Amino acid sequence: MKTDLSPRMKVALYGLMCVLLIPFVFPTWWMLTSSVKPISDIFAFPPDLWPRRFDFTTYARVFELQPFARQYWNSAYIAALVTIGTMIVSSMAGYAFARIKFPFSNAIFMIVLLGLLIPSEVTIVPLFQMFLKWGMINTHWPLILVPIFGAPSVFATFVMRQFFIALPGELEEAARVDGLGRFKIFWLIALPLAKPALGAVAIFTFLHSWNLYLEPIVFLSSTQMFTLPQALTQFTDAYGGAMWNIQLAAATMTAIPVLLVFIVAQKQFVEGLAHTGLKG
Amino acid sequence: MTIAAGTPRRKRPFWTIERRDAAAGYLFIAPQLIGIVTFVLFPLGLVFYYSLHEWNVLANTFNFVGAANYQMLLADKALPQVLLSSAIFSAGLVILNMSLALLLAVLLDQKLKGITVFRTLFFSPVVVSLVAWTIVWSFLLQNNGGINGLLQLIGVEGPNWLRTPATAMISVVVVQVFKNVGLNMILFLAALQGVPKELYEAARVDGAGRFKQFRRITLPLISPTILLTSIITIVGSLQVFAQIAVLTQGGPGMTTTVLVYYLYQQAFQFHFFGYGSTLSILLFVIVALLTFVQWQMRKRIVFYEN
Amino acid sequence: MAPVTLKSITKSYGTTPVLHGIDIDIADGEFVVLVGPSGCGKSTLLRMIAGLETITGGDISIGSRVVNDLEPKDRDIAMVFQNYALYPHMTVAANMGFSLEHRGASKAEISERVNWAADILGLRPLLDRYPRQLSGGQRQRVAMGRAIVRNPQVFLFDEPLSNLDAKLRVVMRGEIKGLHQRLGVTTVYVTHDQVEAMTMADKIVVMNGGRVEQVGAPLDLYDRPANLFVAGFIGSPAMNTLGGRITPDGFVAAGATLPLPPGLTPAANAVYGIRPEHLSLADTGIPAIVKLVEPMGSETQVTMTVGEHTVIGVFRERLKAKPGETVHLRPDLEALHLFDAATGGRLN
Ligand SMILES: Nc1ncnc2c1ncn2[C@@H]1O[C@H](COP(=O)(O)OP(=O)(O)OP(=O)(O)O)[C@@H](O)[C@H]1O
Ligand SMILES: [Mg+2]
Repeated sequence: MKTDLSPRMKVALYGLMCVLLIPFVFPTWWMLTSSVKPISDIFAFPPDLWPRRFDFTTYARVFELQPFARQYWNSAYIAALVTIGTMIVSSMAGYAFARIKFPFSNAIFMIVLLGLLIPSEVTIVPLFQMFLKWGMINTHWPLILVPIFGAPSVFATFVMRQFFIALPGELEEAARVDGLGRFKIFWLIALPLAKPALGAVAIFTFLHSWNLYLEPIVFLSSTQMFTLPQALTQFTDAYGGAMWNIQLAAATMTAIPVLLVFIVAQKQFVEGLAHTGLKG
Repeated sequence: MTIAAGTPRRKRPFWTIERRDAAAGYLFIAPQLIGIVTFVLFPLGLVFYYSLHEWNVLANTFNFVGAANYQMLLADKALPQVLLSSAIFSAGLVILNMSLALLLAVLLDQKLKGITVFRTLFFSPVVVSLVAWTIVWSFLLQNNGGINGLLQLIGVEGPNWLRTPATAMISVVVVQVFKNVGLNMILFLAALQGVPKELYEAARVDGAGRFKQFRRITLPLISPTILLTSIITIVGSLQVFAQIAVLTQGGPGMTTTVLVYYLYQQAFQFHFFGYGSTLSILLFVIVALLTFVQWQMRKRIVFYEN
Repeated sequence: MAPVTLKSITKSYGTTPVLHGIDIDIADGEFVVLVGPSGCGKSTLLRMIAGLETITGGDISIGSRVVNDLEPKDRDIAMVFQNYALYPHMTVAANMGFSLEHRGASKAEISERVNWAADILGLRPLLDRYPRQLSGGQRQRVAMGRAIVRNPQVFLFDEPLSNLDAKLRVVMRGEIKGLHQRLGVTTVYVTHDQVEAMTMADKIVVMNGGRVEQVGAPLDLYDRPANLFVAGFIGSPAMNTLGGRITPDGFVAAGATLPLPPGLTPAANAVYGIRPEHLSLADTGIPAIVKLVEPMGSETQVTMTVGEHTVIGVFRERLKAKPGETVHLRPDLEALHLFDAATGGRLN
C-alpha cells in the first residue's frame, strides 16, 4: 500500500508512531537515568525524567557486590561459543539436508525437527541428572552444549536448509567440474553465499544464549560462575529487597553494548532476520 | 571398441560417486544428529522414565510407581489454576503480540521519511537482555514506581500492578509483548514488502479502498507468515520463565504460575523430580498438540503458498 | 583433445527409464550438437558425460579411458551451463582461475592462463568485476572463459544461449564456433534450437524420447532425413507431410493426387514429404487454395490447403494471390521424401 500520503495523513501517522513508541523506548530511558540517581531519588514524586542529582558510585558498587566483570565474561564467552558452534553445526546439517542425497535423509530430518517441539524446559530434569553424572554441574558446559545441539540449533538448521535449498544447483555442479569435493563446495561456494542466513542464525543464537535464565539458575551455583541474567537478580539487601539503583546500573551495563552494536549494524540485523526463510 | 558386447562389466569400485556423497552427507549431519539424540531425544526418554518414579532427592528415594505421578497430576488441586494461568498468558501474548506486530509492520511499510529510525526503535527491546528489560519493568511497575508516579501526575491512583491478581497477569503479558513484538514486526514487514505492487495497483483500478485492499490482498498473501510466526510465538509463550521469576514469582497467589514455573518449583525447589518429570511430559504434550493443530490449520487457513 | 565414445548408454531415474541405449562416436576435435524436443534426454546425456549424473548402463570413454566411475574433475572436461553458474561472490578473474587454483597451479600460471582466455574473449576490462555487474552476454563469455582456461579435453555446453536475446544469440553462436575452430577441442553442445544445430555442428545427433533418431552432418540430415521424426524436426518451417498411398499413377492423398518419380513400388500406407522451399508455383500442377500469405521480404510464406491437407510453401517471388484463390504447385521430385507411415522409416 505504498501510495503517497497526504500531509495530514503523514502527521497523523507520525503522531501515532510516537505514541506507540513510548513503551518501547521509555523503559530503556528510565533504566539509564535511574541508574545514576541516588537511592533516595529513585522513587521520588513527581518522577524525574532527568536526574536531579547524579550518583555514579552505583556503577562501582555493582563490581563490589558481585564479581560482575567475571560474570560479564562468562555470558560473553558462552554466547560467543554457542553462536559459533551453532553456526557450524546448523550450516553443515542444513546444507546436507538441502543438497546431498543420502538414504533416509528425509526421515532423519524429521527426527531432527522433533527437536523444535522439545524445548530444554521439557528436558531440564534429566539434563540436570545427566550433567550431574558427568560432573558438569556448576560448570558452563550445559549452557554451551544444550543450545548448540538442542532446539535453538534445530531452528538454525531449518533456516540454513531453507536457504541452501534455494541455491542454484548449477553452481555446485560447476564447482564439481572445477575440481571441488563436497567439503570444499560447502566451504568455498555454499557458505560464502549463505552470509545473510548465517547472520540471522548468529543473531538469534546469540540473543538466545545471552538471555538464558532457567538453565543458569538450575545448573550454576557459585557467583563466580553466574551469567549476567542470573547476576542481575542478585543485587539485594540483607532483607531480600532489591537495590534498585545498583540493579539498574548492572542492567544498563548488560543492555547497552548489545544495543549499540544493534544500532550500528541495524540494517544487517533487520535484513538478516527478515531473511530467515520464515517468509512462508 | 575394446569391450565386446557380452563381456561382463568391469568391476566398479566400492566408493562410487554416490556412495562417497552419501558418506559426506552423513558426516555433515553427524554433529546435529548425535547432539539431538544426546541432548534432546535421550533426555525426553529419561523424562518419561522418571515420570514413572517417585523420586525425592532430599529423602533420597527412587521407586517405581507406575502411573501414580499421572494420577497425582489429575488430582493436583493447583494444576487447573496453573493451566489456566498458562492459557491466559499464552492467549493474551499471542493475540496482543500478533496484532501489535501487524499494526506496526503496516505503519512501517508506509512511505515516510525517517521510517528506519522508528523501525530501529520499535525493534530495540529485542536486543535488550531479557532479564534487564524485565527488571526495568519490575522497577516501573512497583507500587511507588515510575508508572504509578506518572499516573498520579494526571490524578489517577494506579494499582500495585504486580501484587494485584487482576493486573499481575496483564503486566507480565504486556512486558513480554513489548520485549519481543519487534521480531514478528520485522517478519511481517518483510512479508508485506514481498507482496507484488501490481496487485495493489490492480485492486485500485478495480476500485478497492485501502481497507479492502488490506483484507482481500495483503492478509491472504501474508497468511503463511502469520501462521508460522504464530506457531513460534505460541511455543515460545509456553517457555516463559525469567519474566515470571523476576516480576511476580508466580504470584500473587498462583495467578501467574505458568506451567514451566510450576515445573521448576516442583523439581528444583521442592525436589520432586518424579512429579517434575510428569509435568515436563505434560508440557511436551501441550507443545506438540498445539504445533500439530496449527500445522493442520495451515492447510485450511493459509490461502496462498509458494 | 580426445575422442568421446558412448556405448549402449542407458539411464533410469528409479524405475523410470529416460535413455534407452545410446551409441555415439565423437571424433577428436569434432563439434557435435545434440538436438531434440524438450525432455528427450539431451541434458541427461550431457551430464552423464560430465559425470554429474550416474550411468545406469553402458560405458562412456574420453580418450582411451572409460570414465564411468570418475568424478567430473578427473574427466578433464569443462562445462558451460545454461544459467552460466558463475560464482556470485568471486570476481571474473577469480571465477576463471578457480579450477586451476584447485588443481594446484601456481599464481603466475593462473594469471597467465586467465589473461590468455580473457584476451581471446575480450574480457580484459571486466576481470575485476563481479558477475552481478555484467550483462547477459558478458556473463556468457565469462562462463566460456572459465571453460577454456583449463584447456580441457572436451567442452560440454548445455543450451548456453537460451537466456540471450535473439540478436546476441546469433553473435555468440558465431563466437562459440570461432572458438572451436581456433582451439579445436572436442565439443558436445546441447540445444533444442535446430538453427543452432544446423549452423554450428560438424555432426548432429537428433534425439527423441531417450533414443537417437539419426546421426549425421547437418546437410545430410536436412537432405536425407532417415525417418519422419527427423524430417519434421529439422528445417523451419517444417517439411510438409501428407499421408496416402503410392500408386503407379502418383501419390494418392485425401482429396489430392501428387506426382511421383517413376519406378516406385506401390505401398498402401505411406507419407509424402516435401520441404516448403521445394514447392514452386506453376500454371498447372497440384491445385491448392491459399489460406494465408506471409510476406517476409526476401521470400513469401504461403499456407494453403491441398485436398484435406494443409501445406506450406516458401517462394522467392512475391505472390499476389489472395486468400481463397487457387494456385498450382509443382513439387521438386529430386527433393522428394517418402516414408513408411507405420514405422516412420524412409522409403526412397
Ligand atoms: N532427477 C530426475 N528424476 C526423474 N526424472 C528426471 C530427472 N531429471 C530428468 N528427468 C526426466 O528425464 C527426461 C530427460 O530430461 P532432460 O533434462 O535430459 O531433458 P532435455 O532433453 O534436456 O530437455 P530440455 O530441452 O527441456 O532441457 C525428462 O523426461 C525428465 O522428466
Ligand atoms: Mg535440458
